[in-house]
Amino acid sequence: MSAIPYNTPAELLGEMDRTRSRWLLAGLLGLAAAAGGYFADPQRFFQSYLYAYVFVFGLAMGSLALTMLNHLTGGAWGIMIRRILEAGSRTFPLLLILFLPIALGVFQIFPWAPHEVAEQDHLIHEKSAYLNVPFFFARVAGYFLICLFLSFRISRLSAQQDEHGAEPYYTKLQRLSGPGILLYGLTVTFFSIDLIMSLDPHWFSTIFGILLLGCQGVSTFAFAIMVLVWLMRQRPMSEAVRSVHLHDLGKLMFAFVNLFAYFNFSQFLIIWSGNLPEETTWYLKRTTGGWQYVSIAIMVLHFFVPFFLLLSRNLKRTPGKVSKVAGWLIFMQLVNAYWLVMPSFHERGIHLHWLDAATPLAIGGLWMWVFLGQLKQRPLLPVGDPMLEEALHSGGH
Amino acid sequence: MAGESMHSVETADAGPSLYGLLAEFDNPNDLVRATRQAYAAGYRKLDAYSPYPVEEAWEAIPHHSNRVPLAVLCGALAGMCAGFGLQTWASTMYYPMNIGGRPDLSWPSFIPITFELAVLFASFAAVFGMLMMNGLPQPYHPLFNSPRFATASRDRFFLCIEAQDPLFDRQDTLRFLASLEPREVAEVEN
Amino acid sequence: MENTSTVKELSLAERERAAVIGPGHTFATITDKIASIVLHEPSPASWWLGLLIGLTLLSGLGLSVGYLLFKGTGIWGINIPVGWGFAIINFVWWIGIGHAGTLISAILLLLKQRWRTSINRFAEAMTLFAVACAAIFPVIHTGRPWLAAYWLFPYPNTMALMPQFRSPLMWDVFAVSTYGTVSLLFWYVGLIPDLATLRDRATAKFQKIAYGILSLGWRGSAVHWHRYETASLLLAGLATPLVLSVHTIVSFDFAVSVIPGWHATIFPPYFVAGAIFSGFAMVVTLSIPIRAIYGLQDFITLKHLENMAKVMLATGWIVFYGYLMEIFIAWYSGNEYERYMMINRQMGPYAPFYWALIFCNGIAPQIFWWKKARTSIPILFIMSIVINIGMWLERFIIVVTSLHRDFLPSSWGMYWPTIWDWMTYAGTLGLFLTLFFLFIRVLPMISIFEMRTIIPQAKVAGVHK
Repeated sequence: MSAIPYNTPAELLGEMDRTRSRWLLAGLLGLAAAAGGYFADPQRFFQSYLYAYVFVFGLAMGSLALTMLNHLTGGAWGIMIRRILEAGSRTFPLLLILFLPIALGVFQIFPWAPHEVAEQDHLIHEKSAYLNVPFFFARVAGYFLICLFLSFRISRLSAQQDEHGAEPYYTKLQRLSGPGILLYGLTVTFFSIDLIMSLDPHWFSTIFGILLLGCQGVSTFAFAIMVLVWLMRQRPMSEAVRSVHLHDLGKLMFAFVNLFAYFNFSQFLIIWSGNLPEETTWYLKRTTGGWQYVSIAIMVLHFFVPFFLLLSRNLKRTPGKVSKVAGWLIFMQLVNAYWLVMPSFHERGIHLHWLDAATPLAIGGLWMWVFLGQLKQRPLLPVGDPMLEEALHSGGH
Repeated sequence: MAGESMHSVETADAGPSLYGLLAEFDNPNDLVRATRQAYAAGYRKLDAYSPYPVEEAWEAIPHHSNRVPLAVLCGALAGMCAGFGLQTWASTMYYPMNIGGRPDLSWPSFIPITFELAVLFASFAAVFGMLMMNGLPQPYHPLFNSPRFATASRDRFFLCIEAQDPLFDRQDTLRFLASLEPREVAEVEN
Repeated sequence: MENTSTVKELSLAERERAAVIGPGHTFATITDKIASIVLHEPSPASWWLGLLIGLTLLSGLGLSVGYLLFKGTGIWGINIPVGWGFAIINFVWWIGIGHAGTLISAILLLLKQRWRTSINRFAEAMTLFAVACAAIFPVIHTGRPWLAAYWLFPYPNTMALMPQFRSPLMWDVFAVSTYGTVSLLFWYVGLIPDLATLRDRATAKFQKIAYGILSLGWRGSAVHWHRYETASLLLAGLATPLVLSVHTIVSFDFAVSVIPGWHATIFPPYFVAGAIFSGFAMVVTLSIPIRAIYGLQDFITLKHLENMAKVMLATGWIVFYGYLMEIFIAWYSGNEYERYMMINRQMGPYAPFYWALIFCNGIAPQIFWWKKARTSIPILFIMSIVINIGMWLERFIIVVTSLHRDFLPSSWGMYWPTIWDWMTYAGTLGLFLTLFFLFIRVLPMISIFEMRTIIPQAKVAGVHK
């Protein structure tokens, strides 16, 4: 009954393959460079690797979360990017492998990890029931178990829905997504505490998990929009996606840009006003030694400029324009990850290193290679979803 | 009832006090179709009336302006400047005072009020701007003279071609409106 | 896809769009049903009963505020170290309740959730009345409001001082007054087309004049509708960050201080979620009796109630997440005062209140995982009351347990509200009920013109450019 043939045309598959191999090449080059960097400066390698890993991990986790969110709330926006998100969430096996360097570098990365530290530092000693290496690995294993289970279960149900039609998979997906979102919330919270907050083991902030959730929301929506616009050059997405869908996705990205600013400002204002020494250190590091320019850049280029751009209805409805803003936001999220992680290591001042470029290339390249491989395995639209027809015709013109 | 109104059209006394001709429809499809045809026939002083917003109806009258977004943007910017300006002026120039060692220009503390005033001014601009552009409040309007027009706020849809339209001709326009298959057409006195 | 599966899919899609309005309604039946409640029907006995309860409680407010002005804040339970008591607890509680109204009218509008249509009007009214109740407390909390007015106005005051813009209490003044003003504007703009409907339907002369003036001469012109819809959407876009900012700023009242239990960075989002949580509970508390009294089951359907239950489940989890993070970070901070604050909450003299709060807000709402519970009127009604109590307890715990154990044990103390505290609180409930019952008597409690848009006849068919 639909005019749109759902299978991906061979031409597009070929293009996806070509792009995929380009990303693989970039990833391998980055990996080689990063490996060289490890022998030149192992300390720096681990630091750069961590920030890039946190950023890319956010794309996978964000994809998982938005898939579940859309199963719960419905909405045409999610149906259009469903397959992009599902492919993004099927990358956890790669991320598990890529976690290896962090696992190996745990003593170099985390100041609380070495035993002697806890013996000398009273506060770290107080926290050692949580901040210790075996428990850290147990938690990380938990995060991966949760993410792997949820992403593959959802992906499988979605595939079965494609094949056999809506029920009972549609209801099952909804049932799984409710508790799934809760597990995601807890995972992103403790992930953010373990991999970022504990870099300053004295520092604490209760909003931090939600802050990282906001970051993942921005980067994932931006990423999904970019991929969607890229796919729109060919059938079936060229016919399925209309300006109303892009408009909705643009609005959601806009909402997350605002939430991101809101969470950051809330945390900053409360700590700035309280002015307690154990909390202000985190911001002191980020407002001195050159880091203040990065802070201002994030404020201006990740909030003010995109805010005013995304106010425009026309921009959100024009594929070429909205995808450029999305690309910019992805870059700013990378900068933001750098800003979250790096000042904890370099409190005396900002110090750029070529490894900071090599590690995102390595992890990002390999991730994109796996992502595109996953993306081409299934139809680009969830053909079994009962809401698909409505989504294709929603919103008038 | 319908026949009665048609009758009144024919016997009404012609004069300068005619506001326009009012065609009544009972569904939005007919209204939108009729409005498009009237616009296509060259009528410009016309308006459609409906008991709820019908997007297609205003799109069928493309020659009107809608500057509400502009007003809101101006309001927001004015509120932002007023809010930040007031606080900065009061705490750095008018009466600088050391409170808890915070700098005079404590910009993080000024953000909440700046934001609130931006929203306040923008909301004022949205509401009063919209009312002003619509010429409201306007307690009297010739359309209220038509007894049938009260149903425009219940379940009926109206298309009015005003007498001031250059193309308006009492008989021609009446015939034109009648050709649009309305429930009835009535004259509206000024 | 085969034909059979297409049929099945469509029926499922239909189910998803399930009834937000009963079958068989037309523009005319919707208009007449809602307008006649205001214009023609005599008030049912239950309306008089409700108003009577409201007025009784309200007279308690008059009495307690009168005695407060005569005697001073000594009649309340506050003292050092707990200098903030019922006044701030009830202020925050009421403001929070108001937030669901804005959420329903603004955020759900932006999200194109059509089910909001039949509840947004009275939810917005609820916002206004809740803000009015909240506003009473800052006004009376000094016990001598005329002195406050004398020393404060006009600015700059007699000592040439300007307000202290670094203070969250100052931000709060701006936030709450902006919120009240914008909510009023939004509500009134939404009412204009319905007031025109009432003007055109009214038979009594006084009604004709009153609704005639209030409707500003609205006549439903397409050009007017266009600007009207733009203004409504933009107001929704403004109200959405506004509602977030208001409870954020309310949370700043606590969080920018350095009191353990108050100084927590999670406060802004967690207060906002709590506000929505309690506000939706209040909408459910109000809509269940109203739909029964006025026979509005066709307009406020089970689907509405179920959706509100889902919102309560979701926001309840955000609130519960906030509690969990407070507990975890209190320990993780390694700070002895933070840790003691949490131990005191859980095992100190107010521990029963803390655990009651965990039960009301954290455990009891989990019943909404079951569809049976989400669509059962008695369970929904009881749960909405439980959540309202829970959210009140949350503010009590935050305010009192954080203050009553000062940094030095020599300045520890206890806080218990007096009869006057309770009477004032019950009195604001009376004010709320009174205003609400008067509102449903004189204004359409459901947006008539928006209800017209959700029936199938409202769509203009097959004319795409």
